[in-house]
Amino acid sequence: MIQLIDVKKIYKTEFYEVYALNGITMEIKKGEFVAIMGPSGSGKSTLLNMIGCLDKPTSGEVIINGVETSKLNDKQLTELRRDAIGFIFQQYNLIPTLTALENVELPMIFKGMSKQERERRAKELLKLVGIEEVANRRPLELSGGQQQRVAIARALANNPPILLCDEPTGNLDTKSGEAVMQIIKELNEKEGVTVVLVTHDPSLSEYAERTVRIRDGVVDVP
Amino acid sequence: MYLELAKRNLQRTKVRSILAVVGIVIGVMAIASIGIFGESLKTSVLENFKEIANEVIITPAYSNGYSKIDESDINKLEKMVYAESVIPIKSDRLIVEYKKKRSYTTIYGMDEEDVDKLFDADDGSIKLKGSCVVGYRLAEDKDLRVGYKIKIGNDKFRISGILKKEGRRFDINPDFVIFVSPKDFEKISDEGCSMVIVKVNELENVEAFKNAVEKSINGRKEKVNIFELQLITERIDEAFSQINTFLMAIAAISLLVAGVSILNIMLMSTIERTKEIGVMRAIGAYRQTILKIFLLEALILGVIGSTIGGVLSILGGYAIDMIMLHNAKYLFMPSTAFYIAEGFFVGVVTAVLSGIYPAWKASKLEPIEALRYE
Repeated sequence: MIQLIDVKKIYKTEFYEVYALNGITMEIKKGEFVAIMGPSGSGKSTLLNMIGCLDKPTSGEVIINGVETSKLNDKQLTELRRDAIGFIFQQYNLIPTLTALENVELPMIFKGMSKQERERRAKELLKLVGIEEVANRRPLELSGGQQQRVAIARALANNPPILLCDEPTGNLDTKSGEAVMQIIKELNEKEGVTVVLVTHDPSLSEYAERTVRIRDGVVDVP
Repeated sequence: MYLELAKRNLQRTKVRSILAVVGIVIGVMAIASIGIFGESLKTSVLENFKEIANEVIITPAYSNGYSKIDESDINKLEKMVYAESVIPIKSDRLIVEYKKKRSYTTIYGMDEEDVDKLFDADDGSIKLKGSCVVGYRLAEDKDLRVGYKIKIGNDKFRISGILKKEGRRFDINPDFVIFVSPKDFEKISDEGCSMVIVKVNELENVEAFKNAVEKSINGRKEKVNIFELQLITERIDEAFSQINTFLMAIAAISLLVAGVSILNIMLMSTIERTKEIGVMRAIGAYRQTILKIFLLEALILGVIGSTIGGVLSILGGYAIDMIMLHNAKYLFMPSTAFYIAEGFFVGVVTAVLSGIYPAWKASKLEPIEALRYE
């Protein structure tokens, strides 16, 4: 499903080179729930960005559903992100000018879905994450927990097989955080969505079937 | 939906958007109002020349050795179908004695009814039987009154009338001239007919009349020169159009400034919305989608600004017309609609052009760089 082969990411400045990822090889199977853990600066977020096709490795290969992403152009990468990957960010990253419902509709708009169909699905998704009553509110009128639920609904909009979560509970209180993790867990168990979760919070790794530890840009084998 | 998104983005920075729109409004208004006014000015100036536009002035071809127009040729002119009226004018410069003072003065020999047709008397009346009529400025200069007597050559003439001040005409200027009848003229001068003013019945027949003259009088040898006063109105039209274009180009500078301000505010929003752009790219927006959203924003600013500017330019045109021409009767001409349309078009194009660079810049952002931006 997701394969990384000797992935390196080197940031070059005028004076020095930083190895954010220094040769990572790993495989995540379809329907798996994997937590990626490590201290800050270990490269775990960079790794997630590689999987999410937001960033390109300096060398190595990222294969998503059998597709070598290094061979894709910008348009194809965009389509891959749109159709195969759902993102959940620590900062929620909702579009402030759009209502909750419209935020959920956005990926479907990018896909060219009809207004009727995307509205129906967006409402359904908001119901799934339990906040259909705030559909017409804008992000600033929502609590952190509600915003993250909107973000989850948005990530699921185009029914992607992969869900990438970058510290999804980082900005939430314990209760909201638990609720959000419960939703993600259920998606994994009931819908068979592959979940890759980046966190430095050990309690979150309990939701995962498997935990990969990263340190200094390499997989830390205990 | 993209339109909706663009609209909301503009609403988010309301004051900034309004200022950008104001810039476009001013620019469009400046261009369209000046265009409207220029057209009004031209029309009002040309209106003054409407009466003479169908006149043709025929003079002897001096370069070919002709110094007068033959009677037979004048007869030919009178017989032409296009000629509404034919006014032959004899002229000479002669010594005239005014109350013991002598000086050279231009004398015109013309039929009484022709003088009456062309000019009006300021004092006295236009009678040329044994008497003469004097131009306004000459009368003023020499202190002449109706009833005075002047001596031209060896003949004495009573002044029957003084003409109204005429200013500049393109055919003949009567202000410094004495008019006598052709009969009297023959007594005092040997000169023949030096000019024929022909009024052509319809403006569109001027060219046909000219061709007829070329054929019948200038057929063998060029005996006369033909000058259509229409040419003058054409020149005026041309000159005013050029001035108008120049003024509009100056007005366009204000639109350029408006364009720069749009460029500026859109670059600002590109930077402010970097993260948002990153998010949209991450969840599946193409580069073109980002480009489209930003261009739509510029387009909205342009359309709103240009619409308001177009409407206001009617008021602007009215105001300038009232101030400069003291009337606005030329405001509602087809050209007004043209200038408003032109202003609108230029305004929208300026806005969109100004949006291209920021939109392109936004679309070129790498998703990951944009997402990291705080």
